[in-house]
Amino acid sequence: MHRKFSGAKVSAAVMMAILLLGILSIAALGQRSQAPDVSAILAKCQQCHGTAVQMSKLSVASRASLLQGGSHGPAIVPGNAAESLLYKRITGEEKPVMPMAPVPALTPQEIAAVKTWIDQGAAWPEEAKATPTPAGTQAADPSLLVYNGYQERKITDADRQWWSFKKPVRPAIPQGNDARWSKSPIDALVKAKLEEKQLTPARPADRSTLIRRAYLDLLGLLPSPAEVDAFVKDPAPRAYENLIDKLLASPHYGERWARLWLDVARYSDSTGYEYDYDVSEAWRYRDYVIKAFNENKPYNQFILEQLAGDELDKPTFDSLTATGFVRLGPRVLDRDLENPNYRFDYIDDIIRTTYQSFQALSVNCARCHDHKFDPITRKDYYKTIAIFNGFVEYDHPLVTQDDWSKYQKAADDINGKIRSLRQQVTGIEEPYRKERFQRILSTFPADIQEAYNTPEEKRTPGQKLLAAQVATVRGDEEQDFNTGGRALIKVSSEDDQARKKLLDQIDALTKQIPPRPPVAFGVRDGDFRFIPHPPFQPGSLGGIVYEKYGFTGKYLPQQGDRYEPPPTYFASNGLMPFPEEIKGPVVEPGFLTVLSKPGQQPFADPPKNGYPSSGRRRALAEAIASEENPLTARVMVNRIWYQHFGQGIVSTPNNFGKMGTQPSNPELLDWLATEFMQRGWDIKQMHRLIMNSETYKMASDYYLPANAEKDPTNQFLWRFPIKRLEAEIIRDAVLSASGDLNFQPGGKPFFPPVPEAVTSQVPTKGKWEKTQEDPSTWRRSVYAYVKRNMKYPMFEVFDQPDAALSCERREVTTVPTQALTLFNNEFFLLQAKHFAERVTREAGSDPAAQIKQVYRIAFSREPSARELQQSMEFLKKQAKSGGALAEFAHVIFNTNEFLYIN
Amino acid sequence: MKHEPECNCNGKSRRRFISRRDLLFQAGGGISGIALAYLLGTDGLLGAPAAGPQACVGSAGVTDSPFLPKAPHFKARAKSVISLFMCGGVSHVDTFDYKPALTKYHGKPMEGKGEVLVRQGYPGPLMKSPYQFKQFGQSGKWVSELFPNISGIVDELAFIHSAQGRSADHTLSHYEWNTGSIIAGYPSMGAWLTYGLGSENQSLPAFVVIHDPRGGPFTGSAQWSSGFLPAAYQGTVFRSAGDPILDLHPSAGSLSPEQQRAELDELSRINQNYVEKHPGISELTARISSYELAFRMQGCAPEAINLDDESDETKRLYGLDNKVSEPFGRQCLMARRLVERGVRAVQLWNGAVVNQNVDTWDAHNSIVDNHGRHAPEVDKPIAGLITDLKRRGLLDETLVVWHSEFGRMPLSQKGIGRDHNPGALTVFMAGAGVKGGQSIGASDEFGYKAAEQIVTAHDLHASILYLMGIDHKRLTYYYNGRNMRLTDVAGELIPQIVA
Repeated sequence: MHRKFSGAKVSAAVMMAILLLGILSIAALGQRSQAPDVSAILAKCQQCHGTAVQMSKLSVASRASLLQGGSHGPAIVPGNAAESLLYKRITGEEKPVMPMAPVPALTPQEIAAVKTWIDQGAAWPEEAKATPTPAGTQAADPSLLVYNGYQERKITDADRQWWSFKKPVRPAIPQGNDARWSKSPIDALVKAKLEEKQLTPARPADRSTLIRRAYLDLLGLLPSPAEVDAFVKDPAPRAYENLIDKLLASPHYGERWARLWLDVARYSDSTGYEYDYDVSEAWRYRDYVIKAFNENKPYNQFILEQLAGDELDKPTFDSLTATGFVRLGPRVLDRDLENPNYRFDYIDDIIRTTYQSFQALSVNCARCHDHKFDPITRKDYYKTIAIFNGFVEYDHPLVTQDDWSKYQKAADDINGKIRSLRQQVTGIEEPYRKERFQRILSTFPADIQEAYNTPEEKRTPGQKLLAAQVATVRGDEEQDFNTGGRALIKVSSEDDQARKKLLDQIDALTKQIPPRPPVAFGVRDGDFRFIPHPPFQPGSLGGIVYEKYGFTGKYLPQQGDRYEPPPTYFASNGLMPFPEEIKGPVVEPGFLTVLSKPGQQPFADPPKNGYPSSGRRRALAEAIASEENPLTARVMVNRIWYQHFGQGIVSTPNNFGKMGTQPSNPELLDWLATEFMQRGWDIKQMHRLIMNSETYKMASDYYLPANAEKDPTNQFLWRFPIKRLEAEIIRDAVLSASGDLNFQPGGKPFFPPVPEAVTSQVPTKGKWEKTQEDPSTWRRSVYAYVKRNMKYPMFEVFDQPDAALSCERREVTTVPTQALTLFNNEFFLLQAKHFAERVTREAGSDPAAQIKQVYRIAFSREPSARELQQSMEFLKKQAKSGGALAEFAHVIFNTNEFLYIN
Repeated sequence: MKHEPECNCNGKSRRRFISRRDLLFQAGGGISGIALAYLLGTDGLLGAPAAGPQACVGSAGVTDSPFLPKAPHFKARAKSVISLFMCGGVSHVDTFDYKPALTKYHGKPMEGKGEVLVRQGYPGPLMKSPYQFKQFGQSGKWVSELFPNISGIVDELAFIHSAQGRSADHTLSHYEWNTGSIIAGYPSMGAWLTYGLGSENQSLPAFVVIHDPRGGPFTGSAQWSSGFLPAAYQGTVFRSAGDPILDLHPSAGSLSPEQQRAELDELSRINQNYVEKHPGISELTARISSYELAFRMQGCAPEAINLDDESDETKRLYGLDNKVSEPFGRQCLMARRLVERGVRAVQLWNGAVVNQNVDTWDAHNSIVDNHGRHAPEVDKPIAGLITDLKRRGLLDETLVVWHSEFGRMPLSQKGIGRDHNPGALTVFMAGAGVKGGQSIGASDEFGYKAAEQIVTAHDLHASILYLMGIDHKRLTYYYNGRNMRLTDVAGELIPQIVA
């Protein structure tokens, strides 16, 4: 039992501490001379372990409940104090020692009294002393949490009847008599809906439209004229299927489709908030996602790796990198230790993103109360906190243990030498520091100087506070020494030279430190309460010194250490000082009640990989990546469908709850979901099924007033919906047309050129490198640096989402600043020139040939006779400008036909 | 309309624009983005005077844009809002929240307030203000000598002395007063307003931000983000030098006005063919009209903030004749011109984080050095703005809100400075029919915590939306499974403000 519910002992121990909280007041009432009354102690414990509240499901309100125990087993073994959990905790035999401050430790007499009482059979002293149950507070169902005005809502079978909580059922495929719509179940299901709504579908699109559509959809690139020609003329009956297979095998497929997931995963290369620090290794997660799509990683494995890549049986460098998903949320990274609520906000981000991404549920709505619409309780929320409460941010080495150890040893050796040199430097500086302090003191107002110079015992209360103001003098010392002290101090030349010599040695040593091997920006389990902290900032979160409360643990437990994650207290949001926090009952980790079988408690077995880890994230990942889970497959196939058609079967991809929309074609969604699982969560296979359907191959330039009247938004797909390219793909398509695209894959992000007028206005401690328009910045847009506090202006106007929150779908807005960007921005003007140069290279100087080539490259088709003639007129009219073709190319970049998938 | 048609009706800038007449003719009958009457009217066809309806004002002719004016929930008191955000944290007890008790107990520990936590540690004793306070106006409002000009208009102002925030951190507090949330990623009030109301002007951005010429505030654009609202609603930064909007014009020499014009005609032709092939998709016609709007904006945006034709008297009113007050004075005068042209929301920032303790109001090191530097920067411009709006009859339809991310501690820091204090801050409002000369709520005797009628960011936002004709509970956007609001699930109207 203890093994199964890891963390059990810690939480039990905390509970014991709480039970004793009440002792303070009552112990003062007397009875000091006599053996303490056990019943008096236990009565006080009932604040948290009584009939109203049973933290850790433990009640000490009766002998029976003590025997029954809580989550961690029986509290007492009558006749044997040494074997009783209660006794072990109060003696400290099991850590942490009980009770915790502010409750004073039990006196030896009190401990002895409890021992005697248990050893003598734990007879219930006086039934009447048990706190009576306050009327109306007892929950009808003991499994439901009642605490401090909160009554957990019961999840019923009726709740499980919501469409998305029921497992998808393979639908019957309608048998139509139309050969065109009978080849694929997708088509049969779409056609059935069209017939039901009396809508007439469009004719098939022509081949040149199809190849442009497929290229932009799968790769985000334009097909070359040669590729278009070859496909249009391909006599093979499977020409189109072959094309899709070819595109799915392209490394550029991952570069395009990763972006979908990076939106969902709120990917960024910077931390956001005030300082927006650079996250120098975030790109490895981005590359992981690209690789996962390219290698067609089964989606269930993709889930497992991102949530628990470190807890798998055999973690790989890829799976460790994948845990960046958990860590990628915005971070303040300033005084985080002083603000314990930050960590809870970070976990809230993790919970929100995890459940939105994989389950399309807004679990974070239940942070302060049961979910208002969906059957998700506040306790569910805290069960999820308990899953993630062990997480600590960790840079996983991406080299072998041996190589890492070698690096560490080398670095430690040198750092040791540096430390001792530093001490020598400090020795030289010490007298000057004192002098510097005196000089700074002399700049303080007279009342502070007076207070400071008054002997401590003679200071008035106000003077004590004033004197303390001097303590805030720190920093700048290094600079003072290096700059000659800004006139604050004068260092003798002898000392100065000695100091400089030492610093030179330090510099030389620093250069010898071997470069750090690559690391993954990820997470692992540990205990945040014991995070290393600077000496001037005692305690970890909120200044709490957890050790003082009897907790022991390690921030980063090592292999072989016994590990239990820190306990999660119900309703604690990290805003209260610690003793207030722990009045809440401990909540054990678990999956959402509504998605669990009644009574099911899936969490968690420690992983078998030798890491000290709770295994809770893995348990969550397994519950999600399961064929039993009704949501997982549906949510993902809906995202894929959304990307292909610009609209979902469910139009709220991050919400399948009551506030989301219901599927427009439930049978289609369920067929896709079941097919997805049957085919081993194979994403590329879903692309194949969708893109080879007649539904996908319909023309977009089709219009029937009767259709438009019945279904103006084309919800039921009577024609292929045109889609505007996303910000990144517009840029990629332009580079693809001009021929400038630099295909350098992966690695560190590049910085697209941004005018100084923009960058200089963004306060940051992060970075933005100044660059210019050249091949180094003409890489694919997925590799552009994503800075939370400053988007690349062109992406910003084209609806790139805020990277602070998970984005379920891109908005498509049309605003004048987009026109200004496409028309006036240096990038587009320059690329238009290059596009024209390419066309001249490929088509020569004949204007008609040039125009045809422009159309072939940009639109994957030939111009009509009328188009050709009109364009010729434009070139003729602009001939005197000398750059007519570039002007024409610039116009083309601005056209709807270029910016849309048709 | 009072002002002259400076924008695209004179020959000089005329050529930058696509000709509406050409567009109309080339578009045939199919173009739905631009209304015929507008095209004819503004282009001087059919004998209409060239000056006609102002090309830089209003929404005439635009039928498809996220910024089309939308009806408010009820009759609005104001059409526009100007937020004057003092970045860094203004000390309320040294400006508008007079606390004689600080003089009385100067140098003594603050007692009876429980454990006092200060941002940078080491709470000092109570510290009196280094400034003299006097009473002003009919209302007898106490104002410190830091604001000699604002003290002259106190009877126009409604002070809230009991505002209270949740965080002692600059960034989080910025988020709170701008977005209602202390967590990153939520839409700003300006974004909500333009989402809810659109704009009275389609030739200018609906939500304009002008920050301190020295640099941006904490986190920069995150403070005027559209969050989870469509990205179109984010604030547009107007730069004070060069073109106000990025890419407003092609970079020098790259495209002559003639070339631009020829390209636009060609573009319009090609796009029109495409629209004809794909009927019934409003997005496509909206794209065509967005070019029209863009090139109206080319003339209108520089015109809107061009102060050349303001009279010397007006410039002096805003303090443009003084080097210290000139930068913020320019921001304020631009703001007046923007709301005059129907821009829905304007946010002006004083304070740049580049050199935080100096260039923002973050007076840890010295109240006198810091506030003594910033107050003269904004005093005359703010008084000038409110006076000017009033005499032009614009104050009735414009709401001006002066705020900061938090107040400062009544305690001394290093003897002469003050640390952050989210417990109490002062906000003032003017215009929109809000009764001037009143003081709402109160902080405690030292100004440590809001004591009477605590006003949260949600309350302030709810009240601002109310004045703009919006019921804050009904302005919602679906995100993450629920209909989100600027005011989350809270927000009470401040009765004295909405009275």
